[in-house]
Amino acid sequence: MRTDPPSQLPGGVARIPQGDEAELAARARAGDRAAFGTLVERFAAQARRVARAVLQNPDDADDAAQDAFLSALVKLDQYDPRRPFGPWLMRIVANAATDRRRRRAVRQTEPLAPELAGGASHPDHDAELRVLGERLRVALAQLPERRRLAVVLFDVEGYSHAEIADILGIPEGTARSEVFHARRALRVLLQDWKEEG
Amino acid sequence: MKEPSLPFDHRPDPELGAALRAALEPGDPAAFVARVLARAEGRGGHATWEILARWARAGIAAAAAAALVAGFAMGRVMQSPTTLDDVMVASASAGANALLTSPRAPDASVVFTSLVERDR
Repeated sequence: MRTDPPSQLPGGVARIPQGDEAELAARARAGDRAAFGTLVERFAAQARRVARAVLQNPDDADDAAQDAFLSALVKLDQYDPRRPFGPWLMRIVANAATDRRRRRAVRQTEPLAPELAGGASHPDHDAELRVLGERLRVALAQLPERRRLAVVLFDVEGYSHAEIADILGIPEGTARSEVFHARRALRVLLQDWKEEG
Repeated sequence: MKEPSLPFDHRPDPELGAALRAALEPGDPAAFVARVLARAEGRGGHATWEILARWARAGIAAAAAAALVAGFAMGRVMQSPTTLDDVMVASASAGANALLTSPRAPDASVVFTSLVERDR
């Protein structure tokens, strides 16, 4: 079953509207730098988050996202304007991030700071959120790569299972399963954090 | 918190999504965009734009060639323009009607000359 992507994302952030991206892509392909700039601005945050889901390290993720945008620029003739631009671009981003991870020696995940290991007191809300963020990043890093990409694409970026299947090159049922298993692991962590609070 | 999720759960989890978004949120979006665009304009990017420009030039050349072929074909089909004299000779009793109903366009220079001479 194909599921429609939501129009509203967590935190009240609207899903990137689709419509003029095909036109922007066509203009960029014809050499319109402003059109390419608009596409970069529109998808930068999403591309960086997706790359970070693969690479964890924010600098590596930004390098991969940048590689992906430049690669997409060269491959614009391969983009089918009848289809949404986002999944096409995110596929390039995911591949760029995976390639970078494979090329480089895998960086060791930084050891969890003692205050993040659980049971620490939370002096204020911002600190609590920082702790939660760090825990989530660590938990994400422990998931298989495809699983963390799937959950980020679904719950953060609002792509449907069918679109995620297309991005990751897997059957839709597998995409659904990956999201399910990732959520189960992350929700346990989130629940623990709430109970500690 | 929704408990437990089913594999068929096709709706995003707002709470988990917001927490993940905050955890993965990149810093300084403007700097990143500027960096990508600078790279696209830079040494590597210059080559990229050159590739795109070549594609555009090739597309324009192909369109021009197609227009030439189409124009040539149209030229072969169309015959010489109809003059006012032709129409008058063909149907002296209904010259204006013949002009208006002629399937071929009149020669504009003939019409213009006729008007100028009438005004003299």
